[in-house]
Amino acid sequence: MNAFLSIVRISFRRQLTYRAANLSGMATNLFFGFFRAAVLITLFNERSSVSGLTIQGAITYAGLSQAVIGYLSFFHWYELMQTVYDGQVGSDLLKPQNFLKYWLGIDTGRAFGSLLVRSLPLFIIFALFYDVILPKSFLQWLFFLLSLVFAHLISFAWRFMVNLAAFWTPNALGIGRFVFGLSWMFSGFYMPLDLFPDWLARFSRATPFGAGFYVPIQIFLGMVENQTLILSLGLQLLWIVVLVITDHLILSLGIRKLAIQGG
Amino acid sequence: MHSIQIMRLLLKQQIKSQRQYPLSFILEIFSSGLMIGFYFVSFALVLQRFGQIGGWTIGEVAFIWGITELSFGSMDMLFSGFDYDTFGPMVRKGQFDQILLRPVNVTIQVLGSRFVLRRLGRMMEGLIIIIYGISILNIDWTVGKLLYIPILIISQVLFFGSLFIIGATTTFWTMERLEILNIFTYGGSEIMSYPMHIFPRPIRLIFTYLVPAIFMSYFPAVYILDKPDPLNAPGLVSFLAPLVASLMLWLALRFWHFGIRNYQSSGS
Repeated sequence: MNAFLSIVRISFRRQLTYRAANLSGMATNLFFGFFRAAVLITLFNERSSVSGLTIQGAITYAGLSQAVIGYLSFFHWYELMQTVYDGQVGSDLLKPQNFLKYWLGIDTGRAFGSLLVRSLPLFIIFALFYDVILPKSFLQWLFFLLSLVFAHLISFAWRFMVNLAAFWTPNALGIGRFVFGLSWMFSGFYMPLDLFPDWLARFSRATPFGAGFYVPIQIFLGMVENQTLILSLGLQLLWIVVLVITDHLILSLGIRKLAIQGG
Repeated sequence: MHSIQIMRLLLKQQIKSQRQYPLSFILEIFSSGLMIGFYFVSFALVLQRFGQIGGWTIGEVAFIWGITELSFGSMDMLFSGFDYDTFGPMVRKGQFDQILLRPVNVTIQVLGSRFVLRRLGRMMEGLIIIIYGISILNIDWTVGKLLYIPILIISQVLFFGSLFIIGATTTFWTMERLEILNIFTYGGSEIMSYPMHIFPRPIRLIFTYLVPAIFMSYFPAVYILDKPDPLNAPGLVSFLAPLVASLMLWLALRFWHFGIRNYQSSGS
């Protein structure tokens, strides 16, 4: 069997074994979903639609954004960094597997495990309490799933890059916290981007954070269709290509720089 | 040596070590404030479209939001030893056993084991939001209100600190950090940033009777900002913050000591 797929499978299984952590994480995300839904409902205050976002869409957003957060793990990931500091990275680099692909395998397994045991049950439970919007056609589901996979690739390529800072500085954690902090706002995780002032909404959607977090939600809600949908997916693809190429460049520079201090 | 001296010594070492890399230290203060501040900015931008939330304007929300951020940031700095994200691993690795062996008050040692200076960022962020809120509001100031604000902030610090102590204590049994506790700590601080009457009854009941957050932010704000209270609670509830916080701290410490008495090492 292909080595990459084996890594994915093992990492997927590992994610499933943390039962208590998965359950507890899901409960937390679910709570925040209810909480954000309540805030949005109060804000809408009987208005049926604000700047293209319907109240039902806003409620669905609250549940869906919390559901995918564990899967994407967009804002909090320091695993690679830690291997640089404890020296594990040395043996990882010696493996007969491309370093980026190796980590992509690990993260993909983790993401799909999380999707299965955290995202899916969360959204189903959320839907029992609130009247949510669902994709209306098979094709829309397909596009949503495709953009969800793209979103994970953007998220991974971005986090990988941030973690590479550890090749240069002994305190990449601080840098990580800083840049992850930036990504919170533009992703649309705090508030639906459609409710931002138009210029900021447009800018945020174009960033890798908006493309990686908000686009799948927009497709799920049916807010982008036909041409705009294809453009949105194209934007996602563009970011994947740009980020992965940059990852490769930075990695090749970093390896030349890397000094492993014991381990 | 006196406990306070030991505490001071422990904190001094903590501060020294965190200033080892000055650039990243400043960056961290800045970024932790900025990151959490973005949440308020996002909310404020969205609120512009709507004008008000449950009858509260942006200034009024900023006032309670800022106070909660300032208190939570201060608590997160002072009580970081009890942060269950780090206390869990400490118990699991057997480091807590070492603490128990030393002839110094255990609570003091845990309190002094970690002092996260970068929380200054969140404190500053809170302060900026409070100032923004007060500057655009026309609060009808009285001596009572002016005196109550610092009391309220101290109460909130103790309230959040109690939650951290309870969270840390649970790790004696679970050995792991329980993410679900975030509902009460981080969730609690988020809920206290909003006027709490907007939440559905079940959420409100949890944060009134299980975790009495409503006495820490919404009720006091009703008094300070002279807001009508759709919950129709008696006026007295606005002033219960210090009492509720003291009670919480007392309960948390009792639970903590109970936990220590029943502590069985992780064996590692």
